[in-house]
Amino acid sequence: MINNFDSLHHPNRTQDVATVMVLGGGVAGMRAAIDLAEAGIRAILVESSHGLGGRVAQLGFMFPTHDCVLCRGTSDHGYGCTRPAISPAFMDYNLHPNIEVWTGTQVLNASGEAGDYTVTLRKQPRYVEPERCTNCGRCAEVCPVEKPRGFEAGLTTRRAAYKIAPRATPNAYVIDYGPYCDDCRRCEQICPTRAINLKETARDADVHVDAIILAVGHQLYDPRLSEEFGYGRFSNVITSMEYERLASRSGPTEGMITRPSDGAAPKKVAWLQCVGSRDQTHPYCSSICCMFATKEAMLAKQRVPGVDCRIFSMDERAFNKEYSAYLKQAREQYHIDYTHCRVSNLKEDPETHNLVAEYVAADGARQKENFDMVVLAVGMEPPAQATALAKQLGITLNSYGFCETDKFAPLQTNKPGVYVCGAFQSPKEIAESIIDASGAAAEVMRLLSTKISRAPRSREHPFIAHDGEFQPERNVANEPARLGVFVCSCGDAISQVVSTDTLTASAEKLPNVALAEHVAYLCLPEGQARIRHAIEAHGINRVVVAACSHRTHESLFQRVIREARLNANLLEMANIREGCAWVHRHDPAGATRKAQELVRVAAARATQLAPVYKTGIKPIPRTLVIGGGVTGMTAALAVADAGYEVVLVEREENLGGNLHNIHFTVEGSNPQRLLRDLINRVVGHDRIRVFTRSQVIEHRGHVGAFRTVLATHVKGAPQPVQSIIEHGTTIVATGGQEHRGKEYLLGQDPRVVSQHQLEEMIVHSPERVAELKRVVIIQCVREPGHPEYCSRVCCTNTMKNATRIKMLNPQCEVVVLYKDIITYGFREQYYTEARRRGVLFIRYTDETKPVVEMKDERGEMKEWGALPRGDLAFTSLQVRVQEPVLKEELTLRPDLLVVSTQVTPSDGAEKLAQILRVPLSSEGFFMEAHLKMRPMDFMEEGIFIAGMAHYPKFIEESIAHALAAAARVVTILSQEPLYVGGVVAQVDQSKCVGCLTCTRTCPFLIPQIDPKVVGNGNIMGAAWIDPAKCQGCGTCTGECPATAIQLVNYRDEQIMLRETAGLGSWVTA
Amino acid sequence: MSNNGKNGFEPDITAFGCIFCGYMAADTAGTLGWEYPSNVKYVKLPCTGKIDVRYILAAFEQGADGVYVVACPLGNCHHVKGNERGKKRVERAKRILDEIGVGGERLDMFFMSGGQGKTFATAAETMVERVKKLGPNPVKKK
Repeated sequence: MINNFDSLHHPNRTQDVATVMVLGGGVAGMRAAIDLAEAGIRAILVESSHGLGGRVAQLGFMFPTHDCVLCRGTSDHGYGCTRPAISPAFMDYNLHPNIEVWTGTQVLNASGEAGDYTVTLRKQPRYVEPERCTNCGRCAEVCPVEKPRGFEAGLTTRRAAYKIAPRATPNAYVIDYGPYCDDCRRCEQICPTRAINLKETARDADVHVDAIILAVGHQLYDPRLSEEFGYGRFSNVITSMEYERLASRSGPTEGMITRPSDGAAPKKVAWLQCVGSRDQTHPYCSSICCMFATKEAMLAKQRVPGVDCRIFSMDERAFNKEYSAYLKQAREQYHIDYTHCRVSNLKEDPETHNLVAEYVAADGARQKENFDMVVLAVGMEPPAQATALAKQLGITLNSYGFCETDKFAPLQTNKPGVYVCGAFQSPKEIAESIIDASGAAAEVMRLLSTKISRAPRSREHPFIAHDGEFQPERNVANEPARLGVFVCSCGDAISQVVSTDTLTASAEKLPNVALAEHVAYLCLPEGQARIRHAIEAHGINRVVVAACSHRTHESLFQRVIREARLNANLLEMANIREGCAWVHRHDPAGATRKAQELVRVAAARATQLAPVYKTGIKPIPRTLVIGGGVTGMTAALAVADAGYEVVLVEREENLGGNLHNIHFTVEGSNPQRLLRDLINRVVGHDRIRVFTRSQVIEHRGHVGAFRTVLATHVKGAPQPVQSIIEHGTTIVATGGQEHRGKEYLLGQDPRVVSQHQLEEMIVHSPERVAELKRVVIIQCVREPGHPEYCSRVCCTNTMKNATRIKMLNPQCEVVVLYKDIITYGFREQYYTEARRRGVLFIRYTDETKPVVEMKDERGEMKEWGALPRGDLAFTSLQVRVQEPVLKEELTLRPDLLVVSTQVTPSDGAEKLAQILRVPLSSEGFFMEAHLKMRPMDFMEEGIFIAGMAHYPKFIEESIAHALAAAARVVTILSQEPLYVGGVVAQVDQSKCVGCLTCTRTCPFLIPQIDPKVVGNGNIMGAAWIDPAKCQGCGTCTGECPATAIQLVNYRDEQIMLRETAGLGSWVTA
Repeated sequence: MSNNGKNGFEPDITAFGCIFCGYMAADTAGTLGWEYPSNVKYVKLPCTGKIDVRYILAAFEQGADGVYVVACPLGNCHHVKGNERGKKRVERAKRILDEIGVGGERLDMFFMSGGQGKTFATAAETMVERVKKLGPNPVKKK
């Protein structure tokens, strides 16, 4: 509930509706707001800058997929790529009805408790009323003040009247009205819609909310503080963010990589890692820099032929899905060179502006090397407002200044009802921030379970609306087409190029046109009213709007005609602004002709339009969770606590999974307490049904209505007992396992153990540990033939166990043989701690792998595996390894050898993937819909993924992932009705010959041949495309040899426009 | 247009494009004011995987002098690989156009991200210039 603010359109604000404030409008904040809104909870998204998008909006490409597809951030259809937003739900005219966006707003104070917080906000003046801004840009044209453009990391300039980015949310200009403005007020005077008011002042408001989610992100380290690199003094030393803009296709050079000093393409580029990370003032790892530097170097290699790329890093931390393969590609295919050291300083050649890097190489040699451009991979720091925010909200920060959270409640702050997600919790990448965001939304759904769906919304229309917002539609099926053509001059932003009078006059003469009108601003309330009135007054049943971009305004006009009781799909737009007037400024005659042609085609298409309807289904309010480990139990509890039924399936006798093998964590928490707590809550929960010793043997149906067959092994019964479960959604939480191979005598010699076995020994036989004299730990052990990837948890586990050994037995020598130490985020401190306690680290490479041997009683060397069992007492264990600094071979004789083996997917993952019809990654883990933007969704709607089934991860990461999947489940189960279909492909089965072309063509493997349906020529078997699954791309339609498939709203006759020859011919003007 | 081609010929060109990167690139060209010839009209499809050899041929049959397709970059398709299927069909249509004497060079496909307004404008210029040199579509009704 809001006092004082002139807030946006929210008709259904009542006391009953839950309201949550999300602080921070980057990807994490936006994701959290969408999930809350979809669950029928109102979200107020508060962003301190004047536009949404945060850091991610500035990135051109994401590793490791090199895609820009923020458009796949949600499964929403239609003008998807909405950078800086991640979903059409943030486009101004299609803003989710449960989301309010307040930009330029900061928190002043907060008080209260979970369920009842009062937050005082201050909204800084924007000086532009976004609803009246038409983006004509006049204000910027007349503005005399020039400032660096923040969105382009200062590489270009902007005026004081400016738009943050070409596509911004809110989609409007802003005036940076500062002391450098000489009060000329030219912007205010020239604004044709009077949207600018320089007298606007800051306004304060008290907002009552039930909960708060903090998604305030991070800030970048200021590299000026590292004077040795000369940033700010040497022109060719740039930050990674500046490089991102250079490499971005939407950046100032459209992706051409050039040197700032002379604009030339660089020949030799260096990346310096850990600038502001892993040092005395930042004793943590920023987690993302190794990967983004790899991406940036690859982009350089792709864009600049022959460029030499060198990355200076201490370790290469490629610890997520598909990252190892990416790094391998960088090395082998792109020949990017990785050098393991820190550069101590840079010097500039004043004439060429080239840079000289000084460093001590891994072999101890002092080196000097020339580069013509250097990129500083700057680290992540807590956001600037962290301290103030902590004070205002009463939350605790950790010693690094990030938000403090508990290991087993990673998204909760110490203040009940205040949650955290994204980089404010710890440095992390996009995918993890998105997982956190949905997870935080799940925590809120659990807190406010009685208020879920109090603000119902509907996806019945192509835009998002309130449920039951509109009057019934007028039935126009039997009416001849009567078109209304509305031409917008956008003030004169269109009409100064296109003759809108000529256009309106020619539109009037087109077939079926009942009315052609010319309006100054169609998008303003008065323009919208004109359209609604004309539809009623003239019996219009098809509408053509000739105005601006479909992308920004189609949903607005769809809504307008729906308000006038026409089906929203009876609208056709012609883009005569961005697509005509603004790109043919110097060719008014040509522009007018083109506008006439666009309107002619739009009218022809409008005549062919038919209403489009979706089907509403009631989702079965129950979810299936496969896997009863920490992830499955956490997800089950979150869904059940939010008010929905859960069926939890576990293959083993007992719940708990890997948690049974973990006795302590590196942070000092007790996982066994978590295990007991989870099991007690799951077993006691009246909405959770647990099936142990059970497996999924069949899984059919679609989102909202799945049907699964379980097989339960009952002791003494000859056959498994089958049960049928009907459910609306599925969560895959089948976990992973520590691989027990035979490498380095594991499983053959009792002196060789795995990490889990070492942990058992530390906990249950500390006396054995106390007797040890030398322990060797080998990292990154994988069975030959297994795919290579980082198992993420082993380095930290090694630090944990090595430190424990040193605590129990300080005299014991502990040597860790490693390739890269991957203790990302705050885990870096445990690496530091292990070294402080005297643990020794020796690096090996694939070429210098350690060799483990046994010596028999005669002193002869034996290859491992060569000795018969039982002879171990007479042999000694020996590890040979190449020491890289001394460049000589060391022979270590440990009395305990620990091998850190890979974490692999659980047995049976492959079979389950087939049953669920979902894909696996190259490493054998389940493959989500999108590596970055949809880490908890499968491409298949209604099926979600969490925990180690996705990739190896820590307990806290599995918990966050489980919560994220739970949130996504609640957003579906709470939709009543759940709308499916709409613009989807439909098969005319009487034409189908069952040739399977569509099944092969579909990018999503959705068409299936139904053998029970009669196809063409009375032959059994015809294609069927599930409208609940179809993504509406139409790829199948273009290849169907029988033209049996048509895409709704893009039927052949609607595209080919034969009568008017609208596809190829042009008006003769 | 002042910049006339052979015998003052101005081609009529149809550009098919998706509503993701293609439409976005056109929008970006508009927002940033990158100018291009006005004799190109954009036909929007949900994905360039929707492109159909029949649509391309129909455009020529109806009188277009040139046709091109604007898609998301390869590997960056909103529908994963719709643009790859579209590319195959454009190649097939090119062969047909060669066979029937219209000429496959009147048809092309461009891949660009939504931020590349300049690239969108350049694609339009490239096609208009090329088709000007080729002259009018031989099957166009006089």
